[in-house]
Amino acid sequence: MMWSEKYRPKNFLDLIGNEESRKLFVEWFTNWKKGTRPILLVGPPGIGKTTLANLAAKQFGYDLISLNASDVRNKKNIHEILSPVLGNQTVLGTPMIFIDEVDGVHGRADYGGTEAIIKILKEPTVPIVLAANTDSSDKMKSIKKVVKTIEMKPLSPKLLRLCLNRILQLEGVKIDSDSLAKLVTKSRGDIRSMINFTQARATGFDPPTEKSFESLDIEEGINAFYKANSTVEARSILYSLRIDPREKINAFYSSIITSKISADDMQKFLQVISEADMLYGKIMKTQQWRLLRYLDAILLGLYKKDILIRYSKYNLSWPLLNRLRWDGTKIKSIIGSLAKTMHVSKSTFSTLYFPYLLYCIKNKKIDLEFDESLEEIVQKEVALIK
Amino acid sequence: MSPSSVMWVEKYRPQKISELINQKEIVGSINSMLKNQSELPHLLFSGSAGVGKTSAALCVSREILGKHWRDYTLELNASDERGINMVRERVKKFSRFAGLDTEIPFKIIILDEADEMTADAQTALRRITEDTAKICRFILIANNLSKIIKPIQSRCVVFKFTKISDKEILSQLKSIGKKEKIKADEKGLSAICDYTDGDLRHAINILQAAASSGNVTESVVKSVVGLTKTNDVQDVLKLALDGKISDARDKMIELIKVYGMSESDFLKYINQAVFNSKANNLEGMLETIAKYDYRILVGANPEIQLSALLAELTKFGK
Ligand SMILES: Nc1ncnc2c1ncn2[C@@H]1O[C@H](COP(=O)(O)OP(=O)(O)OP(=O)(O)O)[C@@H](O)[C@H]1O
Ligand SMILES: Nc1ncnc2c1ncn2[C@@H]1O[C@H](COP(=O)(O)OP(=O)(O)O)[C@@H](O)[C@H]1O
Ligand SMILES: [Mg+2]
Ligand SMILES: [Mg+2]
Repeated sequence: MMWSEKYRPKNFLDLIGNEESRKLFVEWFTNWKKGTRPILLVGPPGIGKTTLANLAAKQFGYDLISLNASDVRNKKNIHEILSPVLGNQTVLGTPMIFIDEVDGVHGRADYGGTEAIIKILKEPTVPIVLAANTDSSDKMKSIKKVVKTIEMKPLSPKLLRLCLNRILQLEGVKIDSDSLAKLVTKSRGDIRSMINFTQARATGFDPPTEKSFESLDIEEGINAFYKANSTVEARSILYSLRIDPREKINAFYSSIITSKISADDMQKFLQVISEADMLYGKIMKTQQWRLLRYLDAILLGLYKKDILIRYSKYNLSWPLLNRLRWDGTKIKSIIGSLAKTMHVSKSTFSTLYFPYLLYCIKNKKIDLEFDESLEEIVQKEVALIK
Repeated sequence: MSPSSVMWVEKYRPQKISELINQKEIVGSINSMLKNQSELPHLLFSGSAGVGKTSAALCVSREILGKHWRDYTLELNASDERGINMVRERVKKFSRFAGLDTEIPFKIIILDEADEMTADAQTALRRITEDTAKICRFILIANNLSKIIKPIQSRCVVFKFTKISDKEILSQLKSIGKKEKIKADEKGLSAICDYTDGDLRHAINILQAAASSGNVTESVVKSVVGLTKTNDVQDVLKLALDGKISDARDKMIELIKVYGMSESDFLKYINQAVFNSKANNLEGMLETIAKYDYRILVGANPEIQLSALLAELTKFGK
């Protein structure tokens, strides 16, 4: 089971963060009687809204009728599903309604859907809980008028760290403190995403064979790899280089592509990188994280004793990098708007229209008005015509 | 001057279905389908570049929606946005929003270069075409019909546009030349035909560029066609075959990141360049290109893959 599901809290005590909100929520449940305003839980992804609602139902002994917003298409659907529940036809013991991702109704369902929900919210004969990521849209504003809103916030780094350490301990996995810090920051308070990335990290790498390389950063790592005296040494460096696989591939790519090595070596190494990159692409697409363990085995093909390769952060020369940043942005903005008026893709426009257009401008047969900042680049491109 | 009036391809774009050149059967059957608008099925236009597919789609939209056509037509080019998000966010939203004017039978979504859409995106489209059939019609446009997934094809009426004959291209070039009062000699015009191989759009572009420098002669045409970025892709191939990986890669990156050539177009053009090079190792080279094309398709990083492709091509140079 994926860790984020495996470690989904099983009872209230497992939940972390948002103490205040949870307290309010529990109070609301305790005091609930017919007519009490429904609750809206608002907060960013992966902080426990769905979990909280589910646990509360369990705790207070309700039978949960859940509506996933993507099911909710129209008025008819909502009525079909919820009317029996609301109309005292108690086929279902003590029901409670949970409409998750209710902000999704806005984009996905038609107008009648929101209307129908609001109507139901106004006459709550059973407890109704809604959850949403945002409450700023017009639809959400009209929903908010008839509910009590409880806000939930991203979790603090301290709590995230606690949670992470507990999971790592249970899984018997060790992660160096730098990576741990990075996982925590990267998640921006989203526990689920943090757990997912931790799992990816943890399953992707074999345990390091040599502790001494554990704290290598990417630059030292690549340099040490190419200074290694044997494949065995290179392997242990590679395996202990615990950084994001994408970063690892990119770092090798930029280091190799900017080095002065023979065309044969270049070709060989780029093929290795291409294969590693393809594997990673597949993993991302299929979420088969366990395949990550083969990545280092492929990357080891990049080792050759005494070859002169050193770490490089960028994979392009400065002039090209600058042209890309400055000219590229401007050219793309010109092409973007012109392509639209010509009913062709940007790529087609730049390949098959733009050069002719520039040529006509050069010959003063076409005169187009551009913004001042863009005029300059047009002149520059015109001057480049042979 | 507005961009759409300065470029002749736009200026002389057919405004009515019946103005389309060379696609008589298609014109006939679209026109008869338009007689019963409410029953119009989704349409799929396939065919090579510059034969009137986009024009036909715009004409259908104009003829059905009349003066409101711009408001109720969503025109997207899948080559610019290929992923599922384009479908989920743009297409779905437009197809769903209510507020149809009573004069209008339905909204129209034109998805140009739909064969550039990922399979996921096409799959997502599947449901939408059904769910919104009452208020929306789709016109999909593709160069390569086989890249449109079967379930989508089965929901559309497919029209295969043919290449435009040299004779028709020639007469269209002449008629434009007359209106624009340019000087062009017969050899110059037939050089344009030879070069464009049934692509009227490109022919008109060449005509305009050539005319901008004076007389449209064979030699002017020859130099003008060297301007397009497909020539730069040929240069990339040459550099790679000469073993100059780094130069080849710089040039490729410039094309993609500065000019915005799509990776899939780059692959298409380098494929053409290999084909035209008549090298003796043709099959091997094409196979190599196919290999990296596939890798990009399954989710690999295009820049890394294209660099590796150029490096591998060096081995065919010796
Ligand atoms: N407060 C929490 N305590 C412990 N684990 C949590 C908490 N919040 C989220 N998680 C982890 O994230 C997973 C998803 O949580 P949940 O489905 O409740 O998120 P959500 O807030 O409803 O997100 P979304 O709005 O995207 O649906 C859980 O299975 C659990 O692993
Ligand atoms: N069948 C045609 N009849 C008239 N003009 C055409 C035809 N095909 C292409 N053209 C010319 O080429 C331009 C671009 O054609 P377009 O419809 O965009 O081609 P496609 O979408 O098939 O690539 C049009 O504006 C028009 O000037
Ligand atoms: Mg949720
Ligand atoms: Mg087109």
